[in-house]
Amino acid sequence: MALSTVSRVRRQLPISPWLFAAPGLLITGAFILYPFGSTLANAFTDRRTLIPGHFVGFANFRELWHDDMFWTGLRNSTLYILGVVPALVVLPLLLALLVQKNIPGITFFRSAFYTPVVASIVVVGLIWVWLLDERGLVNSLLETIGVGRIGFLSDQWLLLLSAMAVTVWKGLGYYMIIYLAALANVPRELHEAASVDGAGAVRRFFTVTVPAVRSTMVLVGALSSVAAFKVFSEVYLMAGPSGGPAGEDTTLVMLVQRTGTGLTGRVGYASALSVVVFVVTVALMLLVLRADRKEDA
Amino acid sequence: MRISRRAFAAAAAAVVLMPLSACGSGGDGGGSTDASGKVEGDITFQTWNLRANFKSYFEGVISGFEKQYPGTHVKWIDQPAEGYADKISADAAGGTLPDVVNVSPDLVAPLAKAGLAMDLDKAASKYRSEYLSGAWASHQIPGMTGTYAFPWYLNTGPLFYNKSLFKQAGLNADQPPKTYDELFAQALQLAKKTDGKVATLANVPTVEDFGRYGVELMNKAGTAFAFNDAKGIELLTKYKELYDAKALDPQALTATPESSGKKFLTGAVAMNPGSALDLDNFKKQAPTLYKNIGITDQITSTGHVNMYVMGVMVNSKTKHTPAAVAFAHYVTDAQQQMSFAKKVAIFPSTAGSLDDPYFTKEDGTDETRVRIAAAKSLKNAVNYTPVLFSEQMKTALRNEVAKALQGKESPKTALDNAVKQCNTLLQQQG
Amino acid sequence: MSVIERTRPVQKAAVREPRVTDEHGRRIRVWELALRYTLLLAVLAITVGPFLWQLSTSLKGPTEDIYSSPPTFLPEHPTLHNYKRVADTIPVWDYAFNSLKVASANVVTNCAGSALAGYALARLRYRGRRVATLVFILAMLVPVEGIIIAQFTTMRELGLNNTLIGVVLPGCIGAMNVLLMRNAFLNLPYEIEEAAYVDGANVWQRFLRIALPSVKGTIAVVAIFAFMGAWDDFLWPLIVLSDPSKFTLTIGLNYLHGTFANDERLVAAGTVIAVAPLIALFACLQRYFFRGVGEGAVKG
Repeated sequence: MALSTVSRVRRQLPISPWLFAAPGLLITGAFILYPFGSTLANAFTDRRTLIPGHFVGFANFRELWHDDMFWTGLRNSTLYILGVVPALVVLPLLLALLVQKNIPGITFFRSAFYTPVVASIVVVGLIWVWLLDERGLVNSLLETIGVGRIGFLSDQWLLLLSAMAVTVWKGLGYYMIIYLAALANVPRELHEAASVDGAGAVRRFFTVTVPAVRSTMVLVGALSSVAAFKVFSEVYLMAGPSGGPAGEDTTLVMLVQRTGTGLTGRVGYASALSVVVFVVTVALMLLVLRADRKEDA
Repeated sequence: MRISRRAFAAAAAAVVLMPLSACGSGGDGGGSTDASGKVEGDITFQTWNLRANFKSYFEGVISGFEKQYPGTHVKWIDQPAEGYADKISADAAGGTLPDVVNVSPDLVAPLAKAGLAMDLDKAASKYRSEYLSGAWASHQIPGMTGTYAFPWYLNTGPLFYNKSLFKQAGLNADQPPKTYDELFAQALQLAKKTDGKVATLANVPTVEDFGRYGVELMNKAGTAFAFNDAKGIELLTKYKELYDAKALDPQALTATPESSGKKFLTGAVAMNPGSALDLDNFKKQAPTLYKNIGITDQITSTGHVNMYVMGVMVNSKTKHTPAAVAFAHYVTDAQQQMSFAKKVAIFPSTAGSLDDPYFTKEDGTDETRVRIAAAKSLKNAVNYTPVLFSEQMKTALRNEVAKALQGKESPKTALDNAVKQCNTLLQQQG
Repeated sequence: MSVIERTRPVQKAAVREPRVTDEHGRRIRVWELALRYTLLLAVLAITVGPFLWQLSTSLKGPTEDIYSSPPTFLPEHPTLHNYKRVADTIPVWDYAFNSLKVASANVVTNCAGSALAGYALARLRYRGRRVATLVFILAMLVPVEGIIIAQFTTMRELGLNNTLIGVVLPGCIGAMNVLLMRNAFLNLPYEIEEAAYVDGANVWQRFLRIALPSVKGTIAVVAIFAFMGAWDDFLWPLIVLSDPSKFTLTIGLNYLHGTFANDERLVAAGTVIAVAPLIALFACLQRYFFRGVGEGAVKG
């Protein structure tokens, strides 16, 4: 990172930075942080949707510790990171390299690969539930080639895997764009120098491309792990509101939604869950940034 | 630097205080339960996923009401099926609940406890005799006095079965199971004869199934759940047997009413509960199935079939109590319910309506036969699902039942756990 | 799609001499080209295939078996009947127009707001910059599902529930977009701005004339993200809006699914209606989008 060698440029009248940042800060404060503040406060009460609660100290957090469903949710959200993040860090980079070269028709392919990002998650959920249905396309094909039908949407682990696959499928194009932008910043001279040195495509990938987009890989890793830990829609749509067989596919945010919403929602308990989700995501972020800094040094 | 810090402080203060100060002025004056005044003013009426199919019916009802009571204006809003409880709870928490709201008993209970549903025993007791007494009572809440919604339409239906699947398994397709014992025996035979390819049931037992099997769901005082008794364990043990033999569909653990309906349509499942509405669906979507459709009564051990009840509640904070009560009554009165019933396969909850020739006279078609049988059974039908059984409780029961079916827990442990969780949730509801 | 036309210059070259060159004018070997196209087509099948299957399902008539094995990819008697049924059931065009309004507003506010805030975070030196950055990072980590009722209460207190403004407001300057813009500005070399500073340009002039044009690519990315985010949102519009005439397309789609869950053909037609405008829009704008992404770097 460039340091303040040209700090003259950055020395400003003190008022303008705040004017620049004001709209963003105001919106974020009023509609994200303020509601989250009340969530924090609610975490220490037994508030329900329609009944204001009392202060109960750490009772919600103690209950959480003994709640099997909480541990199931934590397990699934963690598994989701492990399953989804490596795929979303590596595959979109390869895809970006594949579509980077301007060969005929490449703009078509670029846009086509972006289509899953364009579609709403509700639509994506409907499409994949239909595809993976016991009598859907995937199973028809599997039966035709003699594998037989597979209950993608009825087995606890297959469900989780299917949801992960959908997350990756929908995220490919999104992260591909981020990588494309980063690749555009890689000086051509580096590649050319490496080519002249006789480096093959694979070696150039590891010696030129990867180091050049490393900070982007960290960014993608951070973004996708936070998103993966907070996964809701994919699993909710595919496994159903109760979270698959015996609720075994429930993720943490699904649990927040299930316990905290509706007319009988336990807002206090769900808020405590939200706080845990928040703390874990912050920790995740710090971990990734820390790793980044270490490699920088 | 000082300016910037002050600017920040001001912005921060604005961010924090603005919503709070607005909050101070947000308190609504409560409406009264006195419905005797003049019927006038603008009210809002919210239905639950009815616009798509019955737009013209509701527009007719509303214009009829506005004609009868000049000076009133009814704004109709309809919400999608999904997220309805979320929508209502956001509105209830935010004080934007419409004046007249389409509810079901489990939705009305928390609203009544929060003081948001008007007690109709106070505001509309004169209309009470117009409704079936069982229907009127369905919106009463254990532990509270009063009735919190007008009963609206009722629904129940027969059990459909696929005759050709029964025949293939060597069963007599003209003598469908009448008791639980027959049902379980035939289901096992069907699964055995088809090597587990055809299941008879597609859904795991819900609280209403336990009720229909004759399990006491709650203690007498209505303060705790009790479906973990011997009878409940017996039912779950039976289901486990069916599940192991694939007589209960292997995908039942993740099934929804839609997915099990689809399985019946495609011949993967031999039986499915439904209503007269489904006949039309079969005709369109699965003509071969329609030719082989068998229709039989719901199986119960209690002699009372299950029914679903819809209600119309009045927001206790409404500014136009007389108009809101009058409209809620107007929508649910005998005449409107009767004409609604003729549009779609539902049943009126008003006294005497079920004696109408429409519900008693055969004309030879299957639809009419189903309708007449259902109307007859409704006279002593029961809404088994306890009013206080919340979404969270349904999930708890569903997950424990799944554990028992998977063999992770014994049926007894599973039901004990479910009852324990439901009781905790019940106490927390206050 | 008119993609072919856009690449015509390259194609003309290909006609004259049967070889393809990359962006540096270097020749690409034939086997490499073949490998690339094979891979491209494979990925294409995975990413677009599911949509085509949905399209095919929506065009199949009521008599056609949609569950057959082996599957039939092309409808035997293609029909638009299912689309007509969708339009008969919900006011699809009104909902689409509402979605369009919400999404357009979201694009404008996100581009402007996050460019301003991103510039402040990246370029301007002031005390509290780290705190301000942290605010946006924290906001990105908040689980939205947990705060939706609190958001609704806030909106109601502002009197903006049941308005399209209320739908737009919470997401109108996304924290993620602010951070994306910040990174884009951080990657700009200081030297060009310094030159302008020496020439006496004030902060506003430098922002508008120098910094902003250099990050067009990221702005295009933010615009697309903002459009899709607004177009695709379901739960928040459902909670905020009460009036059916203000509903957005995703809510309408949900109507369809809730009422006709068993009718795969109808649901498929509904999803196609929801996705098609976005795909069309993206197909029109992708030139700017990808060019913008490519131009994200300052040439120098």
